[in-house]
Amino acid sequence: MPQNINKAVEKVLDAYPAKVMKNRKSHMVIRETEKIQEIDANTRTIPGIITNRGCAYAGCKGVVIGPIIDMVHIVHGPIGCAYYTWGTRRNKGKTREGGQNFLEYSFCTDLGESDIVFGGEKKLIKAIDEAVALFHPKAISISATCPVGLIGDDIHQVAKQATKEYGIPVLSFSCEGYKGVSQSAGHHIANNKLMSEVIGKNEAYEAKAYSINMLGEYNIGGDEWEISRVMNKIGYHVITSMTGNSVYDEIAAAHKADLNIVQCHRSINYIAEMIEKKYGLPWIKVNFIGIASMSKSLRDMAKYFGDEELINRTEQVIAEEIAEIEEDITHYKKMCEGKTAMLFVGGSRAHHYQGLLKELGMETILAGYQFGHRDDYEGRDVIPNIKLDADSRNIEEIKVEKDQDNYQLRISEEKYKQLQEEIPLGNYKGMISEMGDGTVVIDDLNHFETEQFVKALKPDMFGSGIKDKYMVQKMGVYSKQIHSYDYAGPYAGFRGAVNFARDIAAGMNTSAWKYIISPWKKEPIITGKMGVDQVC
Amino acid sequence: MAKSKSRNLVNLNVNPCKMCMPMGAALAFEGVEDSMVLIHGSQGCSTYIRRHIATHFNEPIDIASSSLSEQGTVYGGAANLVQGLKNVAAIYSPKVIGVLTTCLAETIGEDITHIIKESGVASELKGIDIIPVPTPGYAASEYNGYFVALKKIVAFYAREPKVKTNHINVIVTDLTPADIRELKRILSLFEVEYTIFPDISETLDAPYKKGFDIKTEGGTTKSQLRRMSAAIATIEFGWMTPLGLSPGRYLEETFDVPLYSCPLPIGLNGTDLFLEAISKIYDKQIPVELKKARGRMLDAMIDSHKLNREGRAVIYGNPELIYAVSNLCIENGIEPVVIATGTDTNPLVEQLDQQLSRYRYNPIILKDCDFESIQEIAVEQKTNLLIGNSDGKFIKEKEDIPLVRIGFPIHDNIGASRQLYIGYEGSLRFLDLITNTLIDKKHEAYRDKMYNKYFVN
Repeated sequence: MPQNINKAVEKVLDAYPAKVMKNRKSHMVIRETEKIQEIDANTRTIPGIITNRGCAYAGCKGVVIGPIIDMVHIVHGPIGCAYYTWGTRRNKGKTREGGQNFLEYSFCTDLGESDIVFGGEKKLIKAIDEAVALFHPKAISISATCPVGLIGDDIHQVAKQATKEYGIPVLSFSCEGYKGVSQSAGHHIANNKLMSEVIGKNEAYEAKAYSINMLGEYNIGGDEWEISRVMNKIGYHVITSMTGNSVYDEIAAAHKADLNIVQCHRSINYIAEMIEKKYGLPWIKVNFIGIASMSKSLRDMAKYFGDEELINRTEQVIAEEIAEIEEDITHYKKMCEGKTAMLFVGGSRAHHYQGLLKELGMETILAGYQFGHRDDYEGRDVIPNIKLDADSRNIEEIKVEKDQDNYQLRISEEKYKQLQEEIPLGNYKGMISEMGDGTVVIDDLNHFETEQFVKALKPDMFGSGIKDKYMVQKMGVYSKQIHSYDYAGPYAGFRGAVNFARDIAAGMNTSAWKYIISPWKKEPIITGKMGVDQVC
Repeated sequence: MAKSKSRNLVNLNVNPCKMCMPMGAALAFEGVEDSMVLIHGSQGCSTYIRRHIATHFNEPIDIASSSLSEQGTVYGGAANLVQGLKNVAAIYSPKVIGVLTTCLAETIGEDITHIIKESGVASELKGIDIIPVPTPGYAASEYNGYFVALKKIVAFYAREPKVKTNHINVIVTDLTPADIRELKRILSLFEVEYTIFPDISETLDAPYKKGFDIKTEGGTTKSQLRRMSAAIATIEFGWMTPLGLSPGRYLEETFDVPLYSCPLPIGLNGTDLFLEAISKIYDKQIPVELKKARGRMLDAMIDSHKLNREGRAVIYGNPELIYAVSNLCIENGIEPVVIATGTDTNPLVEQLDQQLSRYRYNPIILKDCDFESIQEIAVEQKTNLLIGNSDGKFIKEKEDIPLVRIGFPIHDNIGASRQLYIGYEGSLRFLDLITNTLIDKKHEAYRDKMYNKYFVN
């Protein structure tokens, strides 16, 4: 296998112009487990390469802000960007009692040519007025698209004014599409604002025992619901998730929790850090995809709290849940066993799904992130060594300090250190360390590379998104959307694992693959004699 | 007389009924043989557009981006554009590259035509036609973007013809790959030579074959595009197209190619007009097979009219499409109660007025509208049928009004590229779908309703 992979990598790189070749080479690693390997990530996309990456606006409005269900999310700009983010990430959200839900809406100032010339601020002010009059939302967000910063609209000033005028929070995000190098910049811009203006504002909230926040969970296909079901069963109380199935007031109470659990490290790890610094609330890295990962994460959480009863309850729930799904998993495992997969998703899922695939008897032979940073690949130890380039430097960094009124150390420093030995407390080791010899890690895998590697490595499954899905399937390989789940899910947690196993088992074994070579291209299959033995 | 309205809220578009110009232009290039598109701007534009076209057609959509970052935004994006073009050429080697702009590129004043010319990239990449199409996202909807691209492509290839040929140009909009295959069948029955532009019949509905090639087969070829100026006539399904955007009109004004502007051949009358145009251009009889199909459609219309009269429809989408669908409804006694488009269009209102003045219908025509306005009026007017793209699904779910899908995008149903809507055959299939939807809806509750209305009360 490694030789095969070396050749495949060489072939891809050979096809590139020299400059592109040098750049792309640094984004590829063939795994050698005894070595500490580095990879380039979060750098500028090469023009013309056909990347699968999105923009800062996509990361901010599309990923982080959009799922907050009781806010009116106004897109300030021309219509396209508002249209393209309308309900597309399948974040689900349950309306709270007496609350509102705007998830099925898309709001836009629909700037036209004259607005671009004369400015769109006035239109934005009036749009907010109209939104308040018609929808009476709890809070409003304003997301800027490319032209907004360039034409000099001061959305932050507008937001300030509107907050005063209507007495509701109006949050403004300068997430123009050209900022940063991928949607990752947008996650950062969005989360910074949630940190500085929302979290900590709900003073009245009364937290129950074992309160947690689920950070970096976006409730795609109902994942958050399945995870929360298990959390509730054990006795945890989820104050908020960020931001799938979330509402404004609950995010504002996040500081009241006892523990942050981080699912998607990429989009939110810096917020977890800031919350810890400001409120003394630690975080652990969890992975709710796959039975072993889910069980381990639950055990880590119980260990953090260190409560005997909670630990026992956790074991009991894990046993119950596994008993419920065991038979199904065994059934689907038979259909998946021995097959191989390539994963190219996000900033976490390419890592998270490897465990679940392993449980189904499948090996991940290539994995990569679309918008991950080096720490998502190599682990957090590498963070001090990451050189900030111009694009990352332009994304505002916020600084937080200890909140004197609300800071409360959840566990002693001593206990913290002790726990760090046992659980991923404030730590993430990254994807690379878990990948075996001869597997490939590729950052920002592009259209051309996808074609080449699928042809060379012939996986049985390719887990990615909608943009590369059809090309891969045209090559005769089942392609599963790990971004939107092909309108299925949930895939997280115990029951989610069964859903995933069922869907990919069906996808890889669908009869259609057997008909690819038409019968007349093979040996004649009809051997009966003409004119005789006409039964039936 | 129709009542024309705009959307409810002036400054806030709630649930948009339109997309942006580069989307339409990208769709236009999908029908050009061995072409690729590079969008000059932030990479999000390419990604969003790829994603939306892919969910509709279930086909690979290869659109590159110049990936402008903050640096390019401040210092100009020429270097990114040139490098992007060179990389597309080196890695994918297409014959044609359409270069589109975005809100970003236009706001910072990028002159792509100038950059391509002055940088020498066009001459460096010999054998590849680079066609710049400015498509500022804020200037108009995807409907306009589509025609802007068509006209630029036609103009790029058109030369003063040495000899006239005997073929016709058929310039199309809002058609599915299956529609285009039907169009070819109809033209073949007439035994005439033709150029269909753009031709997505293969490019966006490619048959599965062993041995994948990133280049899709099919599309209007360069030689077909070059001979458009020599055609005997152009038939353009551009009844609603603003004159300045019409590629057919450009060919007529510049090269004396007579233009027959027709509505889309949807519905009996719509199809009649198209066939009459071919018949007139070539002085040929309507082929027998098509006459029979017309007879079958008529026969079916008579069978289903009693069921259709209960239809109170909301028709929304691109101007061209909703004009044709409205006509199909009118022919069959389905009342078009709301006719809506997100595009700002004047021809639609004028043309529909002419049509509708012959009937008792007084539909509300919404232009430059959003789905929030459509929903409100749909409920207020007690409509029982939505006809349009997938974006009506929220109204369907909230108000329990059935949705019959046509247009772009259709991403909540499968098979959009295989749907046939044009010609007598396609129109009839579509009509049956509408009628059966009405029947199903009626049967869900009609016994109870009848009992309550006539017996209980």
